[in-house]
Amino acid sequence: SRDERVKGPGRGCLLKEIHLNVTDLGLGYSTKEELLFRYCSGPCYDSETNYDKILNNLTHNKKLDKDTPSRTCCRPIAFDDDISFLDDSLEYHTLKKHSAKKCACV
Amino acid sequence: VRGSLGLYFPQSEYSESIYVGQQQGTPVLQIHSMLETPAEKPYFSLCWKNPQRPPAYASWFHMDETSGILLMNKTLEWSDFSSLYTSSTVSLKKLALKVTASSMPVKRTMCNLQRKVEVSLTFINATAPPCGQVKPEKLCFPDKDSNPHIRENRMPGALRQLRRFTRMNVCPNYTISYGVKADSPVPFAVDGSTSELVVTAPVDREEKEVYQLLIVCTIQTEEMVDTLFNPLHVNIYDEDDNPPYLNGTDTEEVIIEFNRSEGTICGSLSVYDRDTTPVYPSDQSQNKFVGTLLNNDSWIKTTFTIEPKFREEKAVFGNVRGTVHDYKLKLIQNVSVTETRSFQLDYLVNDTTFPGPEGTVLLHFNVTILPVPIRFTNITFVFGLSRKSTTYAQIGKVCVDNCLMFKGIDVEYQLEIADKNISSDAQSCYTAVSISQSQNEMSGVLYVNDTEALLRAECQELQYVVTAQEQQHQLQTRTQLLIIFQGEADPMSGEEQKVLACAERRQQGDCESSRGLGAPTGRCQWRQGSDKGISEKYSTCSPDLRTCPDGYCDAIESKDISICPQDCTSHPIIGGHERGLFGIKAGYGTCYCFVEKCFCEKDETEEPFLCNDTCKTVIAAG
Repeated sequence: SRDERVKGPGRGCLLKEIHLNVTDLGLGYSTKEELLFRYCSGPCYDSETNYDKILNNLTHNKKLDKDTPSRTCCRPIAFDDDISFLDDSLEYHTLKKHSAKKCACV
Repeated sequence: VRGSLGLYFPQSEYSESIYVGQQQGTPVLQIHSMLETPAEKPYFSLCWKNPQRPPAYASWFHMDETSGILLMNKTLEWSDFSSLYTSSTVSLKKLALKVTASSMPVKRTMCNLQRKVEVSLTFINATAPPCGQVKPEKLCFPDKDSNPHIRENRMPGALRQLRRFTRMNVCPNYTISYGVKADSPVPFAVDGSTSELVVTAPVDREEKEVYQLLIVCTIQTEEMVDTLFNPLHVNIYDEDDNPPYLNGTDTEEVIIEFNRSEGTICGSLSVYDRDTTPVYPSDQSQNKFVGTLLNNDSWIKTTFTIEPKFREEKAVFGNVRGTVHDYKLKLIQNVSVTETRSFQLDYLVNDTTFPGPEGTVLLHFNVTILPVPIRFTNITFVFGLSRKSTTYAQIGKVCVDNCLMFKGIDVEYQLEIADKNISSDAQSCYTAVSISQSQNEMSGVLYVNDTEALLRAECQELQYVVTAQEQQHQLQTRTQLLIIFQGEADPMSGEEQKVLACAERRQQGDCESSRGLGAPTGRCQWRQGSDKGISEKYSTCSPDLRTCPDGYCDAIESKDISICPQDCTSHPIIGGHERGLFGIKAGYGTCYCFVEKCFCEKDETEEPFLCNDTCKTVIAAG
């Protein structure tokens, strides 16, 4: 399946992971628990269409005044399972949709 | 008459080891049974699960009918061990025996109906170790000890054999004797001739529940004297030998006034009993109390019930466990506001297992039911509000006398125009205000319903009549209500059809310069939170800080989710937070919401300097 992914469009857009403390997430929880955070990153040039090329040209030629429309980017299309942890005051919290499971250029 | 329980075993199981070479006729262990009366005499016998087909090893043992001593009926051989069928090939085999004790000899075939005690013998595939290899503590005390128990108020007598018969034979030259030691005098001793632990007098559980003894074992040989100690706890079992009693009063004065709802506990009396009440097994009747409501009046019986509950207490009974029975007087239907009565409710409590005539206690509840008048104390409600206020801004509350204390009384409020003979143009002013029922208290909440009327000069003083109606009996009362809209109207409010939610604003400046739904001043208000972690006092923008966010989604806020999503949202919240039943209980940094979707996050950047028109002019001029 790995080969398939590399062959298809958006092959630069990959799922990466990093080991973090829950406190590193910056959500305000105080706890000593840790987690594996997965995220999507990589270029999406190969999945661009004429639409993207036109937008690129218009932006470059300053035809679109102030507007800078979004271009194709590497985003999660599915999320990991929820995680639960106990904080320092012994209360449980559950994080939903916090970590990527599958990535794609969208 | 005391409940006669007859013979009982002071120990629930016995265990011992046996070895190859154990001689025929040697004792293994001794079973004891405690007596109820001096005339009783226990007969011991071995009993098998299926008395017709006892196991192969049944014939190896003999039970002495009068002494309770289990003896070897044959000398154990190596082949005996291997003859026992077990799936594993370990060098230990468990032999399970059951012993019955009854006050007359019982036919072996009928023995399963008797009370039994388990005996577990471990057959070791080896000969007994020689005397020199046996540790002194193994000679004196059992390998695995279980604490004996005795019942209170019973005959004294022997309860345990302290000698280890199987080990004594190994060291025939040793003289082993036992004694009892305790911190204070105890009714326990050792019979020197038989080495039995004996209880010397009847005991009282209400005096002492556990006796902590130290069994002293003295091994004497020609060369030395060795003394060993082993702790032993004797538990005292309870019986119902104390009548119930009251601690002070047998009468409770009960006044039923504003709280008349079904389920209300309106009075409570306690009955004490020094005996314990087992909760398991649940069908056990020991010390269970039975209560009877003595009133025959059918209204009383359908309106009140006594809820009995019991609990174990120690402190009130001098550090010995006893039972406190609580009897709570409970309403089982709503009492109407017009009801006025007083009566005495009598409740008889019977300790059914207490032997003797004083096992009952009579409780009294002196109940007075007062009527509740539905009325407004003769005043006119006057409320003032800014003309800049927006839709759903809360104006105030109207309440019949004592309505905040009402429970089980349903009151509904309505608004009417005071003077009905006014022009239809003037009548249209009165759409400005509406009333809504508060859910957790019997009050009516006034709120702005239509802001268009506020723009008109003639709509500044509105005279209403508030009608309060009690629902069960349709009792009505009314009062005057005057609402005055003050100050200048907001010229914007006419044009701007859609007022946004205050909760969308993420910054103080933006918040305080915005209009939002439910704002009594017309402007949103900013709450600056404390900075530490996830806090109940998070930063947020709200139409009215008195009602939002207060963690409660009130009658007005629940009319439109945009008023206060912080209190009312039922959707997932993004970012660091703690959920309440509805809404955000605590949040990290600033919490803001778009329709129902709320976000809580720390604003890392300082609030940007907003360059408004004045500022731009200053810069241009500079």
